[in-house]
Amino acid sequence: MERKNLVAIGVVWPLISFAFFFGLWELAGWWPISVAFPPFSKTLLALLAMIADGSLPRAYLSTFQPLVIGMVLCGIAGIGFGIGMGLSRAVEWFTLPIFIILQAAPMAAIIPLITYLYGIGLTSKVLAVVFLAAPVIVMNSYKGIRNTNPSLIQMCRSFLGTKRQEVVKIVLPHAGALIFAGLRLGLAMGFIGVVIAELLITPTGIGDLITYHSSVADYPEMFAAIASIIVIAALTIHGLERLERTLFPPEIRGS
Amino acid sequence: MRISVRFLLTAILLASLLVGVFAGDVWAQTRTKIRYALGDVISIDELPLLIAVERAKQRGVDVEVTSFKSEEVATQAVINGQADVGQGTPYAAVQKVSIPIRFFYQLSALQFFPIVNKENYKSWKDLDGQEIAVHTRGSGTEAIMNLAAKEHGIKYKSVSYVPGSQVRALALLKGTIKATILDAPNKNLVMKEAPDKFILLPLGNVKASDEALFATTDFLEKNRAAISVFLEELTKVSRAMNANPNWVLEERKKLGLLKDLPQKLEAEILPFFQEAVKSNVFPNDGGGESAARNDLEFYRLSGALKGENLKVEDFWYLAPLKAALANVK
Repeated sequence: MERKNLVAIGVVWPLISFAFFFGLWELAGWWPISVAFPPFSKTLLALLAMIADGSLPRAYLSTFQPLVIGMVLCGIAGIGFGIGMGLSRAVEWFTLPIFIILQAAPMAAIIPLITYLYGIGLTSKVLAVVFLAAPVIVMNSYKGIRNTNPSLIQMCRSFLGTKRQEVVKIVLPHAGALIFAGLRLGLAMGFIGVVIAELLITPTGIGDLITYHSSVADYPEMFAAIASIIVIAALTIHGLERLERTLFPPEIRGS
Repeated sequence: MRISVRFLLTAILLASLLVGVFAGDVWAQTRTKIRYALGDVISIDELPLLIAVERAKQRGVDVEVTSFKSEEVATQAVINGQADVGQGTPYAAVQKVSIPIRFFYQLSALQFFPIVNKENYKSWKDLDGQEIAVHTRGSGTEAIMNLAAKEHGIKYKSVSYVPGSQVRALALLKGTIKATILDAPNKNLVMKEAPDKFILLPLGNVKASDEALFATTDFLEKNRAAISVFLEELTKVSRAMNANPNWVLEERKKLGLLKDLPQKLEAEILPFFQEAVKSNVFPNDGGGESAARNDLEFYRLSGALKGENLKVEDFWYLAPLKAALANVK
């Protein structure tokens, strides 16, 4: 009974929260706070129309291309760098400053530089995703390795474990949760990177929908495109967070 | 005696303060400010505007020009009341937004140049089934290229969107794109950098506004005198330029405009205006009804405007221009 109540609360409260938010949006649209600000109902209709005519799915096919390539690159190279930095002082000394600088650099200012070097094609967009996502993934992997419980390492050594066993059986499983969290946060940054790239480099995919509908004053469609990328990013990140909780329960996470 | 001196001093101070306050008030009353939203960076093509702004200032109308990132942002500034007058051709916004915004002056007509890599293409027919690059979806550049395709009975394989003539010019020089459309300064740049590599494709007579002024009808009605002064100065500048393109250089020097312009760009001023004047880019009469009709036709074909039987009065407010032209000899 108590469990049933908890589930009801878990469903009802978010629904009330959404209804409240969308209600305010509707009111703000009809008031209006700006003549270019569409109410929620018109935005929702525009979103459905864009799904029905295929323009939104087509846009996402195009947007996901640099995002997926960038994230795969970050997943392989980023975690590799992070582990390398965590295990070797030399690699840490050599690469840590680069990732700290990248993490602090304002991406919108760097994108023109990328276009000068790599042009206006897919490469530049992939690089925008990598530049935003990589620092988070690398730093998380690095911290995960570095923060391994010293008593576990001592234990391994006292059992005469080899260096390889120490890394494979103690360090990596212990850092897994932080590495995964890094991937999740990196994907969130990747979404930001791909949208910035599509708005600032060449308008393709969702960036094209936003730019085009803004230029022809189709404000409900423009807001629908923006809202759709927010929803997709939020759902993906939330899904990954749940997966993370299942894969790495608190007792494994060590926190 | 000491008291009377102090009294005298206080009285003088108070009197001067009052005179100052009233004089300031009268000064403020006789001067009108127009907040002008420009969706572009200020460069040599804005010189006619800057000259007119200076001349309007001498007649008591302060036009405060703010440069925005794009035409859309400038349009939003006007829609939301943060700017009074905008520059651009946001016909779609004028048609769709619920508050009455109208165009009232044509600053310049479209002047673009389709340009192709000579090694790949020689004529419009060669572009059949080929890839081209234009500014953005629904832009004037796309409309021009589509109209040309219709005229020559060809169909492009695909249209890529590469915002900014400068970016397309660089991509053309680097060989990333083979066929595109550029504005005059960037066409000149490309032809100068690689004179034997590219050719311009002939274009029929495209008559549409590149830059026009727009504002809410409410603002135009409440600020008739100031708008008239501004339009009179813009018209005088256009006429002087059309009579002698060199006049722009003389005025720039006289008024001290764009002082920190790089020398390379400085050399481009005269050729730019000579070419623009030759192509009838700057109207002597602010465009008026004929410009409005041409625009409605062109932007309907481009897809920016929807519907048939579009009416001039739904997009243009011609009274301020008529009033200004009556004052310009």
